[in-house]
Amino acid sequence: MALYQSREAGHGGMFDALILIGLLSFVTALSLLFFADQSLRLDEAQSLWQTSRSPGAILSTVAADVHVPLHHLLLHFWRLLFGEGVEVARALSLILYLFNIPALYLLGRLAYSRSVGIFAATLFAISPFMNWYANEIRMYTLFALLATLNQYFFMRVFKLKDTLAWTPYVFTAILGVFTHYFFFLNLAAQGAFYALYRHLFPNGSRTHLIGTAALIFALFTPWVLYTLLLGEAVYQQPALSSPTTVDFFNTLAEFIFGFQGAQLNTVIVSLWPIALIVAFLALRKNVSLSNESAYFLLILLFSLGTAFVFSVLVRPVFLSRYLIFTIPALYLLLSALLSVYPRPLSRIAKEVTVALMLIALAASALRGASVEEEYRAASAYLAQHAQAHDVIILSPPFTLYPVEYYYRGLAPITTLPQWDRYVAGPIPSFSAETLEEDVAALTESYERVWIVLSFDQGYEEDLRLYFEENYHRIERLDFPSDITILLYRLRYDTQNARAAAM
Amino acid sequence: MDEQQYARTAFLATRSDKVLFALSAAAAVFYFFLLLLYFPIGNRTLFMLLVIGQSFHLWQLLTFIHTVWDTEHEPVAGYVDLSVDVFITVTGEPRSIIEETVRAALAMEYPHTRVYILNDGYVAGKDNWRESVEVARELGAECITRTKKGGAKAGNINNALRQTNAPLIAIFDADHVPHPDFLRKCVRYFADPAMAFVQTPQFYKNAQDSYVSKSAWEQQELFFGPICKGKNRLNAATMCGTNMLVRRAALEEVGGMAEESIAEDFVTGLFLHERSWKSYYLPEVLAEGLAPHDLGSYYKQQFRWARGALDIIFRYNPLFRRGLSWTQKMQYLASASFYFTGLIVAVYASLPLLFFYFGLVPLEIAGMLLASVLLPYLFLTLYTIQLSSNFSYTFNALAFSMAAFNVHIAAIFAAALRRTSAFLVTPKEREGGSAFGYVVPQMLYVALAAAGLIIALEREGLSASVVNNAAWAVMYVVIFATFIRAALPQSSARRLPSLNLSPQIKRVADQARR
Repeated sequence: MALYQSREAGHGGMFDALILIGLLSFVTALSLLFFADQSLRLDEAQSLWQTSRSPGAILSTVAADVHVPLHHLLLHFWRLLFGEGVEVARALSLILYLFNIPALYLLGRLAYSRSVGIFAATLFAISPFMNWYANEIRMYTLFALLATLNQYFFMRVFKLKDTLAWTPYVFTAILGVFTHYFFFLNLAAQGAFYALYRHLFPNGSRTHLIGTAALIFALFTPWVLYTLLLGEAVYQQPALSSPTTVDFFNTLAEFIFGFQGAQLNTVIVSLWPIALIVAFLALRKNVSLSNESAYFLLILLFSLGTAFVFSVLVRPVFLSRYLIFTIPALYLLLSALLSVYPRPLSRIAKEVTVALMLIALAASALRGASVEEEYRAASAYLAQHAQAHDVIILSPPFTLYPVEYYYRGLAPITTLPQWDRYVAGPIPSFSAETLEEDVAALTESYERVWIVLSFDQGYEEDLRLYFEENYHRIERLDFPSDITILLYRLRYDTQNARAAAM
Repeated sequence: MDEQQYARTAFLATRSDKVLFALSAAAAVFYFFLLLLYFPIGNRTLFMLLVIGQSFHLWQLLTFIHTVWDTEHEPVAGYVDLSVDVFITVTGEPRSIIEETVRAALAMEYPHTRVYILNDGYVAGKDNWRESVEVARELGAECITRTKKGGAKAGNINNALRQTNAPLIAIFDADHVPHPDFLRKCVRYFADPAMAFVQTPQFYKNAQDSYVSKSAWEQQELFFGPICKGKNRLNAATMCGTNMLVRRAALEEVGGMAEESIAEDFVTGLFLHERSWKSYYLPEVLAEGLAPHDLGSYYKQQFRWARGALDIIFRYNPLFRRGLSWTQKMQYLASASFYFTGLIVAVYASLPLLFFYFGLVPLEIAGMLLASVLLPYLFLTLYTIQLSSNFSYTFNALAFSMAAFNVHIAAIFAAALRRTSAFLVTPKEREGGSAFGYVVPQMLYVALAAAGLIIALEREGLSASVVNNAAWAVMYVVIFATFIRAALPQSSARRLPSLNLSPQIKRVADQARR
């Protein structure tokens, strides 16, 4: 793979700066025009609720939510400073993403050349996947940025023998592990690279790496102990199924083409033999796998492979967004690979890649992505139609976050199973045996019930059937991303019913 | 060191990474066993063809790894004072080419040499056959003109053998110009009385002259780099018929060069090894020749090599030759069986077409599961080849090896049916006329793939299977397009840009040179 030392390395250039400014403007405009106005998604609503609490409460909530607290604390103070709106919260993710674009350029320039850096930064800026998370109130752009910076400083150490880079490396490593648990994979990949390419590193590197590991251990252990002490994390793990090879390739496809519909995604992943052509065409005289490419390859494959194997053998944790930190490495490898093609072919390959990603981005921006959750529209409908004598039941309980954020109606909201977020412990599990009793308790004094179903946790059908068999359904509405609203009449012996009968 | 010097050394700076080799072999074996035992079978006939193809690839990869496992073996050399007869085989090549080679042969830094032009122009019916006589007279060499036909190049050499007497014989094709130090560097290995021949690379000095010559040389680099070097360890060096030094006694013991095969060199090497003679491939460019300029020349050269190599399997099967060690048998089989590649490529390339037209598939398996096993295996294989050849192996080399399937298939049939094939000397000048006749099968494939895709889309829409098979077909189209491009007139005429060597490669080449 690519991997030449460019004559241009080490020089900046007004041209590059202009392109980077153009990319930043493009991303900002895209966000303002298309993404910023999208409905709040479940995870985002959860972030907003969590970060609206005190720093101490944030720590306990985040610990229980199987995450690490840096982004939540940052968002908490960000909202204190700039306001409470969704747009303000999303702006933090966007800004971190904007910082990441020049950071990736620097990493590409350091690893390969200016042109590779610029092309990788371009791919990053038009990435449907990255743009999606750049407009989501979660930690993923911070995670990606810290990973890019951390990789940059690590590369400065082994490529330029810049021992001063150890300090920012350690700093970004510490911030990284407090941003996402998967940052440890990035560090482990670096450890593996050091083991394989020790000769590249300046003297004393082993001491620095051991020192970094010790420092991270010392700082992170209290957090682990705190999490264990709370004892709640075990109940809050994401409910994921064990990944298959389809998930593995879907992740790679998502990294390049974002979240597409099932049909289009099938087409994309079925094109995998194209990867062979891409590799064949890179077979060129005098082009070897450079140390930098080996490093990025290790970051990508070690991380994806470890997460996949761990998910199959131990516990499912394989989610594309958890692996977002590998995207800079993927784009840099792709950019470097296409750069070694003969010049006309390289140009065509790059143009095709950019065109395809732009089409995917446009599809994502225009129709919203397939993961879009329209809680805003659902909540607005409820606010408009639910009456004071109605009750709204959300299932599963955690969908309370986005609905309560948007809902401003007369009917009270509750969840099934019933859940009090302020009480420590897991979300109560669904019980078919107590369902009748639970429903009776929730609906006792109401005439109608609105059931809002989404994010099926395995009991959605039981719930729906129970209401279908016991109550009269009046209405059914479906919203994007499998949000279903069902309206049932609970009784006819009410004042309203009598008045209507007379 | 200039670029040409790097071109002479870079492909010889082979590398060996045993961990990578082991991983690569493991991935290939793993894929093969999954294919054989785990993957659900679709059409049984296609599945069998797939298994046969994969068995062949596994054989190729494992023998390649075995060959290149250690490429640094060198026999003991010493002082020896033996006179040398230099044979330059000529069959009507242009005078200027012969002159250059004869001058270089006469200028070799070695005391006891006599240079002979082995003139086959007369028996070959070439109008210019007298030119060789004139060149010999003018330059101070001797000319042996054959008047009795038979045995092609081998017959020519054997004829000269009977009329000369030096204990060592250097053999060069008319277009292969020896360096002054050729003999000085080769003779010393004959201090070992069991050494039968020393072979040096068949380097093409005109590799940058045209698209075809460049691709032809890039294809050769893998062979003359890690493969030939690796064969040293196993005493199985391939005799290539030019740029070599042979012991007369050894050659006489096996009855001279083998006249009954058009790959007389390869077969003669086999006979020598069978009689326990030793061989050595000296990994240093000590003579420089001419690559085929155009597709027609390339086609003829490849057919001759393929036909001759396949004779090893069909006529002289090493498995049944008693004097060879098992590793030598494997080496000869591995080299000769390379030319089955064309048949396997044709089978594999037809799989997408069979799906397009008839909906037949060899495996009924989730594409992603196949990809998760096949891609690591293929990428590791590619990297193994790349690394072992010091990153000399190129897409063009790969594409020419695969896309010349029609040449290989023609040779397989000729060898299997024992048809007589004429010994056609590779033309040293550009041939006139269109070369598109050589790429009709490849162009037909492109047309069939395009039409087939439309039929498949009509039948089942943009399904995962259609898309996946389309991607496979595109891969073969890209590969075949490389060969079709070689048929364009400018592909045999254009001067290519020079190499731009990276510091990393230069460093390795420098080390190898030292």
